Amino acid sequence: MEKNKEKETGELEKCQKDRDEYLNNWKRERADFLNYKKDEAKRLENALEFGKIIIFEDFIGVKDELERALRWGEPEEHELNTGWREGIEMTLKKFEDTLKKYGVERIKVEGAFDPLLHEAVEGTEGDKLEEIRAGYAMRGRVIRPARVKIIK
Amino acid sequence: MSKILGIDLGTTNSAMAIIEVGQPRILENKEGMRTTPSITAIGKNGERYVGVTAKRQAVTNPGNTIFSVKRLIGRRFSDEEIKHDKKLLPYEIKEGANGGVDVKMGDKWYKPAEISAMVLQKLKNDAEDRLGEKITEAIITVPAYFDDAQRKATKDAGEIAGLNVKRVINEPTAAALAYGLDKKKDEKIVVYDFGGGTFDVSVLEIGDDTIEVKSTGGDTHLGGDDLDQKIIGYFVEEFKKESGVDIFKDQLALQRLKDAAEKAKHELSSTLQTEVNVPFLTADSSGARHFSISFTRAKLEELVGDFIKKSIELTKKTVEESGFKISEINEVILVGGQTRMPLMSEEVKKLFGKEPHKDINPDEVVALGAAIQGGIMQGEIRDVLLLDVTPLSLGIETLGGVFTKMIEKNTTVPTSKNQSFSTAADNQPSVEIHILQGERAMAHDNKTLGNFILDGIPPAPRGVPQVEVSFDIDANGILNVKAKDKATGKEQSVRIEGSSGLTDEEKKRMTADAEKFAAEDTKRKEMAEVKNLAETLIYTTEKMVKENDAKIKEDDKKDIGSKVESLKIKVKEENLEEIKKATEELSNVAQKVGGELYKAGQEQAGQTEQPKTSPNPENEIPKEDPHK
Repeated sequence: MEKNKEKETGELEKCQKDRDEYLNNWKRERADFLNYKKDEAKRLENALEFGKIIIFEDFIGVKDELERALRWGEPEEHELNTGWREGIEMTLKKFEDTLKKYGVERIKVEGAFDPLLHEAVEGTEGDKLEEIRAGYAMRGRVIRPARVKIIK
Repeated sequence: MSKILGIDLGTTNSAMAIIEVGQPRILENKEGMRTTPSITAIGKNGERYVGVTAKRQAVTNPGNTIFSVKRLIGRRFSDEEIKHDKKLLPYEIKEGANGGVDVKMGDKWYKPAEISAMVLQKLKNDAEDRLGEKITEAIITVPAYFDDAQRKATKDAGEIAGLNVKRVINEPTAAALAYGLDKKKDEKIVVYDFGGGTFDVSVLEIGDDTIEVKSTGGDTHLGGDDLDQKIIGYFVEEFKKESGVDIFKDQLALQRLKDAAEKAKHELSSTLQTEVNVPFLTADSSGARHFSISFTRAKLEELVGDFIKKSIELTKKTVEESGFKISEINEVILVGGQTRMPLMSEEVKKLFGKEPHKDINPDEVVALGAAIQGGIMQGEIRDVLLLDVTPLSLGIETLGGVFTKMIEKNTTVPTSKNQSFSTAADNQPSVEIHILQGERAMAHDNKTLGNFILDGIPPAPRGVPQVEVSFDIDANGILNVKAKDKATGKEQSVRIEGSSGLTDEEKKRMTADAEKFAAEDTKRKEMAEVKNLAETLIYTTEKMVKENDAKIKEDDKKDIGSKVESLKIKVKEENLEEIKKATEELSNVAQKVGGELYKAGQEQAGQTEQPKTSPNPENEIPKEDPHK
């Protein structure tokens, strides 16, 4: 009798212990899940932003080439046609405005070298910067740094 | 309980991960990137840079920018490797106090462990920012060939960074953990790790509780960077051939070619050919010079084939040294970003005669494995809570013999899903719920698990009754399917045990079949859907004519009648394009007539009342119809 009772008490205690453990694990799992959902929402937002950044980066690459073309000067046959440069410049302006609409802004190349915004590609001496390739940031997040040459 | 950070402290890049809800996850750094360059620097004004910022200023500050410090950590200055590396490194190193190596950055001399600690410290801080909690413990990975001194120095680096290093584990071991291979007793595993600057290959054997490294090999100066250089060299040559201009000394032009080479290399992992366009690369007396070539995967493979061949030879040698035969190797894991190149995984596959593991991002797999090690030590990965997944999709048959999935393949159980269906004919008194399992688009190609009939549905036009079907799988894999008529509350259900009682072979065959017949199945499913659409349109159009008989002009009635007949014939003939065409023709005339009815109705109602029935037959198409 006594023995049976002891056995039953032991089993009951074990059951209670198991129950507490399971309940505790369940609560932990629920909490983990709810936290995960919150984090996931944040991550989704980030991922969307990141997706945009990847696309912008590709288009900005095309813009680079247009700007480069302009820097090379006008083709001879257009020399007298002053509207040519103006037209291309307007196109570029429109490009830039469109980027701005989505919060993408060109990184200013001025003051001291700042590796948060700039990437050095040439030059070790000097404290002035020359922009080699424009950099862009979207709402404070660098899409790509401005490539600069360090000059005296 | 604070989290244990898993850190892959790489020669070129580092990554970190944690366990979250039992699963490892990569943590992004402050800059939002999933890997961090293992570079530190001291700027001209004494400011310290770590990671991408250090990398960006490297060109302008080469003497004080320390990279590849992993090549120096825990080594003696007299080591052969150090003598070799000394020539390649742009920063100063010297013999330290006890025969070790010291590194100069700024005006100070540092131990390599102190430099590594700066990288670890950044990772720790960024992880804390991300998680909003303190991180005090970490697992750090090292190459399998690291000796005790190198491991000890790596551990020291962690401690300097304020981390209690719970364990230093081998990189290949971490990769095996990430793939869950630690549970496969007695298996022999090869880890092929082609990184940015180093190539490591290791042979592991899984014991009862341990993963033992049987042999290691590789080349500490072979990596993805070599491949990039080769491609750039080829571009420079091609440009010279085409334009006569040598840009080998033009740093800025080379930089643009380097960008183009990296982009092309990535693109050729998924396509066979890519256009490389670099306008205004340089100029000569005749004006601007552009670089433009068509670059094929075949050409890329020809350029870098020797590097891959070398890695395969080294792999063979390492397996030999382990004492195993190539044929005894059970699993192969690919690590390192460069292994995304199709030729590389093909060559590895050819060598071992089996598909290597490459599902996990090869840049992240080691850090994920380190996090798993942390999780095991912390008990976060609870064996009791390992949950099963459904091996195949589960669903029911709907109108036209289409298999409508309710629970997708690989869904973690227990789980449940509900969806409402309707009837396919007017006054349909019952619906048959035919439960199936499989990946094929049409019901009869899948495996039947059971069926039942829900009857007593009150008379109503097709598409009106709402039958809610619910699937519920419990943790033991037992499936309960219930159908309930929302109007009467009447329900019927079936319990299916052993819904996952398929043999591995069956699962494999069914999944393979689905892939094999994917194109055919899509066609058949489209046919079924187009036919369903046509039949619904016929039904709604006939209904419209019947209900508005007096208001529709005779000519229109005739027109509709002939178009309905023609569509019925086309549906029987089962010619997809013809059905689509006939459906559109009928839809146009039905919409025209419907529009006139609508207008007439509005005029009658003094343009105030909305018509009771929608003129657009598409609105009446029931979303899903169970097959009768």
